[in-house]
Amino acid sequence: MTEKRAVAVRIGARGVSRRFGAVLANDGVDLSVAPRTIHAVVGGNGAGKSTLMRILQGVDVPDAGAVIFDDRPVRLSGPAEAFSHGVGMVHQEFMLAPPLTLLENLILGSEPTGVLRLIDRRKAEAEANRAAALAGVRVDWRLKAGDAPIRVRQIVEILRLLYRGADVLILDEPTAVLAPAQIDELLALMRKLKIEGRTIVFISHKLEEVMSVADAITVMRAGKVVATTTPAATTVAKLARAMVGETVEAQRAARRAAAPVGQPLFSATDLVGADAVGFERLGPIDLDVRPGEIVGVAGVGGNGQDELVACAAGLAAPVAGKIVIGGRDLTGASTASFRTAGVGYVSADRAEEGLCLAASIRDNFVAGRERESKFSRLGLMRRSAIDAEAKQALARLSVRFGALADPAATLSGGNQQRLVLARELERVPRLLVAAQPTRGVDIAGTAFIHRLIGAFRDRGGAVLLVSESLDEILALSDRIVCLFNGRIMGEMGRAEANVGAIGRLIVGERAA
Amino acid sequence: MNAPPARLGKAAAAVLPFALALGIGALALAITGHEPAAVYRLMLEEAFGGERRIAATLTEATPLLLTGLAAAIAFRAGVFNVGAEGCFYLGGMAAAVLGYTLPTWSGPALIPLALAAAALSGGAWLLAPGLLRARLGVDEVVTTLMLNFIAIGLTSWLVDGPLLARGSANSATPQIAEAAELPRLLPPTTLHLGFLISLALVAAYGAWSRFSAGGLESKLVGLNPRFSRAVGVDLARAILGAMIASGIVAGVAGGIHVLGLVHRFVAGFSPGYGFTGVAIALLARNSAIGVAVAAVLFGALSSAGANIQLFSNVPIEIVEILQGAVMIFAVAQFSFAWPRLKTAP
Repeated sequence: MTEKRAVAVRIGARGVSRRFGAVLANDGVDLSVAPRTIHAVVGGNGAGKSTLMRILQGVDVPDAGAVIFDDRPVRLSGPAEAFSHGVGMVHQEFMLAPPLTLLENLILGSEPTGVLRLIDRRKAEAEANRAAALAGVRVDWRLKAGDAPIRVRQIVEILRLLYRGADVLILDEPTAVLAPAQIDELLALMRKLKIEGRTIVFISHKLEEVMSVADAITVMRAGKVVATTTPAATTVAKLARAMVGETVEAQRAARRAAAPVGQPLFSATDLVGADAVGFERLGPIDLDVRPGEIVGVAGVGGNGQDELVACAAGLAAPVAGKIVIGGRDLTGASTASFRTAGVGYVSADRAEEGLCLAASIRDNFVAGRERESKFSRLGLMRRSAIDAEAKQALARLSVRFGALADPAATLSGGNQQRLVLARELERVPRLLVAAQPTRGVDIAGTAFIHRLIGAFRDRGGAVLLVSESLDEILALSDRIVCLFNGRIMGEMGRAEANVGAIGRLIVGERAA
Repeated sequence: MNAPPARLGKAAAAVLPFALALGIGALALAITGHEPAAVYRLMLEEAFGGERRIAATLTEATPLLLTGLAAAIAFRAGVFNVGAEGCFYLGGMAAAVLGYTLPTWSGPALIPLALAAAALSGGAWLLAPGLLRARLGVDEVVTTLMLNFIAIGLTSWLVDGPLLARGSANSATPQIAEAAELPRLLPPTTLHLGFLISLALVAAYGAWSRFSAGGLESKLVGLNPRFSRAVGVDLARAILGAMIASGIVAGVAGGIHVLGLVHRFVAGFSPGYGFTGVAIALLARNSAIGVAVAAVLFGALSSAGANIQLFSNVPIEIVEILQGAVMIFAVAQFSFAWPRLKTAP
């Protein structure tokens, strides 16, 4: 490490601009991160946070402006050079090699070697433990990265940066993948690293975390810095307003006047579901969803929600039990039959299942309906009809896009999710299976998606909502079902629901 | 908004393997004491200099158009079928057998029948690997590769025994009836109607992939099977369909080769057309235009290679070096040609 001079800005940016086609992702961005502080960068989807971080890390080059390290402008040739300045980043998608052990991942690229340039495992383990002790965590280094829990993988990513001598850590939405208790642990680790002299750039759009951990906050919107402040000088509400540029709508969707009526649209009886390797994570459960009703399934991830969603959307056949949709027994039927029966599906995995990112926006919109007579005749697609409907639907959902022929990957995360909803709602489903519908979506986008789902319910649609966000469950659901260990622990109506009661049920405490 | 650069990148990615391969070939020529520029000029001359030479090049390109197409159809749907070689043999055999056993039939009846038999045998041959992949997820590379050896062995056994032409020492069937021969387009050159049929099939594939619902489905299944299943595309049907269509086209390729050029089935009558087709499809990134261009280029290589050693002391192996180098670089997939696509916000 270079000798510690007293610098004002350990890492930052001066007038950084970066354009991608028609989108100005960064527009004259200034950022000043003081040494030994935690600096939060907040902003909605497409605000330009990720672009800025890629530039700071040397992965991308600004069209104008400069990166500042230790008060001096630098031109970075790549991430290796940023690293030589002590700057390392933990990406949203972890960059560990799944078949290697955590120890091997830690030392990958700078292995301690002994005789004959062979890897000195004992030395490696000692150094690994030293890094872990520094961070105050314990890690089973022999675990394969692919088998390690997400929380552990994330810690190993951080330790890897420390091991290789980074003193500036850029963490890109590190809490998005963590459960509440794990978030607290991570925030504690961040504070500890700061006390030890590290500088942390923390990207998030969870404002409570930011307020609790940050020393300074930079707010970005539409490629620009719109505010620079400190937690003492601001509030969550003020930050949110700066992020979205308008006052956030009241979160709770309007309550429906009439109670849902009629036969259930979705009905699961003695349903048992297994994951990909055959482990029975769900059931047996009974669950009904009636028209005009949003049933929210609350639970900590891995308690059978994925299997419930897979069964309800017709992606996987149940191990046992029965699924009836709109009066028809569809147990074991194909995904296509579920969709024909009126099931719409918003996948929790937007990048891999909700969209085909390499295909065009048009293809993503029409996918699954390309054989409907509206869109094709004698097997030939009617491009003009598809384009007309796609444009209308995307405009209705205010999707910001360049051209229908652009790959879906060119959309920002929030716009991608709107594209998914546009496709699924245009099919006019009767049952919408929505899994984590606002994961990774900013506040304004979340409110918008909640209004869409609420409006669908008000038109008489049935919604099976699965979310790990209790706020979302409470904001939307007419009825709440709490899942623990694959079983329904309790059920409550909207009126009697509260965070405390749900919180107890989803960790396995029976209702009193 | 970024359509033109993306298209440029695609073109560059297709041309680059050839450019690099020519570079390696030049190196090999220089090392062996030849003048690379002179040899390349000679090859260009031999491949495209004059009507006859162009006709020879297009004749060579004819089977490659279809084996390339067969591979492209499968690859588009994410099915890595390398069994075109075997289908080529079976299709050729089927067409030859009908071609010589029905000497009284007229051309307009016999040719379609023989080609239909070729198509059927090629398609049926890949039914099993298609079903295994679609239903049980069995790796199609292994099954289709192995089926090649069975098809080649089976057809050689047939022409060494039950189907051997009387009085012939070669492992070959009798000549097909004259009526079964595909008409020549530019006599006295060997260019035959099969070239136009092949070109039409490639064009039909281009239209299908761009404008049809099935074409969209096969693309989505190839790009992202999880997504395709979630939106209700029948994965098993798309995969099985791609496999069988691929086999049909490869079978027709063999049939056309027999009816148009060889006029009988001879054991070992494909110098690896099915495998060259794999390289062509990879180079073309499964696009119809790409398949046509790459097939003509590979056709030019082999037609020039055959002549070049007649007129110079350059060994024909230089052509094999060039072909091999193109294939290696084609598979390398020069992804740096479109970095912007990935980094867009």
